[in-house]
Amino acid sequence: MTELTLPLRGLIARPLRTLLTILGIALAVAGFVALTGLTAGVQHSFASGIDENGADLVVSQRGAFNLVSSTVPRSLASGLSAVPNVEAVSGVLLNITTADDAANIVMAGWPAASFLWKDMRLLSGRIPAPGDKWPVILGESMATALDKRVGDTVELQFQPYRIVGIASFSSVLNQNSAIVPLEGLQQLLSREDVFTLYEVRLKRPLDKNDIAVARSRLIAAAPGFEVGDTEQFASSIRIFDLLQAIARTISLVVMAMASVSVANTLLMAVNERTFEIGVLAALGWSPRRILRLILIEGVIMSAVGGVIGIILGALAMEMAAKTKFAAGLIVPYLSGWSIAQALIFVFIAGPLGALYPAWRATRLLPAEALRRI
Amino acid sequence: MSLLVELNNVGRDFDGGRIVAVDDVSLAIEDDETVAIVGRSGSGKSTILNLICGLDRPTRGDVRFEGRAVNGRAAWAAVRASRIGIVFQNFFLLQSLSARENIEVALLGNLGGASQRRVRALELLAHFGLAERATLRPAELSGGERQRLAIARALANRPKLLVADEPTGSLDVQTSQSVMSIIGNLHREFGTAVIVVTHDEDVAALCGRRVEITDGRIRSDSRTTPAPAPRSANP
Repeated sequence: MTELTLPLRGLIARPLRTLLTILGIALAVAGFVALTGLTAGVQHSFASGIDENGADLVVSQRGAFNLVSSTVPRSLASGLSAVPNVEAVSGVLLNITTADDAANIVMAGWPAASFLWKDMRLLSGRIPAPGDKWPVILGESMATALDKRVGDTVELQFQPYRIVGIASFSSVLNQNSAIVPLEGLQQLLSREDVFTLYEVRLKRPLDKNDIAVARSRLIAAAPGFEVGDTEQFASSIRIFDLLQAIARTISLVVMAMASVSVANTLLMAVNERTFEIGVLAALGWSPRRILRLILIEGVIMSAVGGVIGIILGALAMEMAAKTKFAAGLIVPYLSGWSIAQALIFVFIAGPLGALYPAWRATRLLPAEALRRI
Repeated sequence: MSLLVELNNVGRDFDGGRIVAVDDVSLAIEDDETVAIVGRSGSGKSTILNLICGLDRPTRGDVRFEGRAVNGRAAWAAVRASRIGIVFQNFFLLQSLSARENIEVALLGNLGGASQRRVRALELLAHFGLAERATLRPAELSGGERQRLAIARALANRPKLLVADEPTGSLDVQTSQSVMSIIGNLHREFGTAVIVVTHDEDVAALCGRRVEITDGRIRSDSRTTPAPAPRSANP
């Protein structure tokens, strides 16, 4: 028999209540993992989507609220292209809309001469040619979801587009995107003289120092604008901060509820087991040891609930990402840090909930506890 | 021979003083004594026992153990853990634990190492004829076996004092004989002082000292020659 035997038996003796409490903790943790993971996933998805197109650095509006609200003027292009070690610069216009009113989609408008077209891996069809009327290349996942093939039509931003190609990408964002010629999209959005951002490709070979030097030169060429790599660009978008703040606030509330649930369960257990606590006290268990017994029960439930919650959270993210409206925008992202945060939460919230019942258990005089059979 | 427990003008009230369970009790018990505290139901004898073990707190007066005043829950817990073994009328065994674990639970914190605790528990179970019942839960034991297990648990930490509250109160006549046999020999076998609260004259007769309680006060306190413990063929 060890110190764990009694808490474990106590929990097993009340299986339904223990399971329900563990479920409560698991759902709270799952909520935290899913909410923070999806927020980070969207951010990560945007970064990897831009990264995949071959850009090394991104020039965008400083402190843009969301991905599509960034505005950079066309006039910056020549200055950026003149920076030493810059191979190519491409303005990109981004928009989030619906495809055939059936799924959310990211539309990317690329100039006809952009270097971005070069790395595209077409599965079928071709890239848009001069003279094509409203051509579009769909990402493979979006084409599959909409059951579209080359030659079909898809409505984007209230404009029917003809699918000229279907491309394969490694990032989920691009797999669920529509790539169209820049001019048509600028016209649709009435943003003729601006882009969402510039994607900058540097000359090869590259090392970290080259990128840092080029970055500082680009900052000088585009004063007042944000210049960074794709991860820096994604993290500079303020909506992600807002989403993270919302996710963390909701998670905190849910975790607080889980903590109350632990407190409630253990309080009931302490009330029911007053006699047992009295016996232990009569046997010479110190108040501190009795406190530890109840806390261990809280920690066991929290640990089990935490692990189940992380698994449930990961599954919930997968399911959310698979819905048609979330495709491409929501990407499951389970990092070691978010797992660590969930576990830190759980190991604070659980024992915190157990503390009051445990303290109450130690306040009883053994004779008083033993009278309550 | 030295002073083990000392109650000095101890009183215990309940219900805000409306019920006086124990009033102005002074009692000194030596470490080689066997004491029977007798009295009718409600006379206050169990309350005195609770005060002797620190299970309850006196409203007035003080309780000293081995010459020292013990104050607070933690201090009393430490005394009970190492110096006092308690046997209750209703056994008070933990139903979720096996017979062996019920003894081990008393050893947690006092005897380091799970294997050492296990050996000590098995040793006690064997002594009280319960070796074969080690893995059974209390609900699977007979009344006599439960009380023997409760006595074994009380002796787990080699206490200086063993107190028993109506140890035969929940047992039939035959099983009572077996438990009386054990209690009668405890002092000789384990060298512990014994205090028994009982209203059973046969049990009281096993002790060398008899303290009679009436209405929460000591009515008489006398020393006699203890009766020989009954023999029990089935311990």
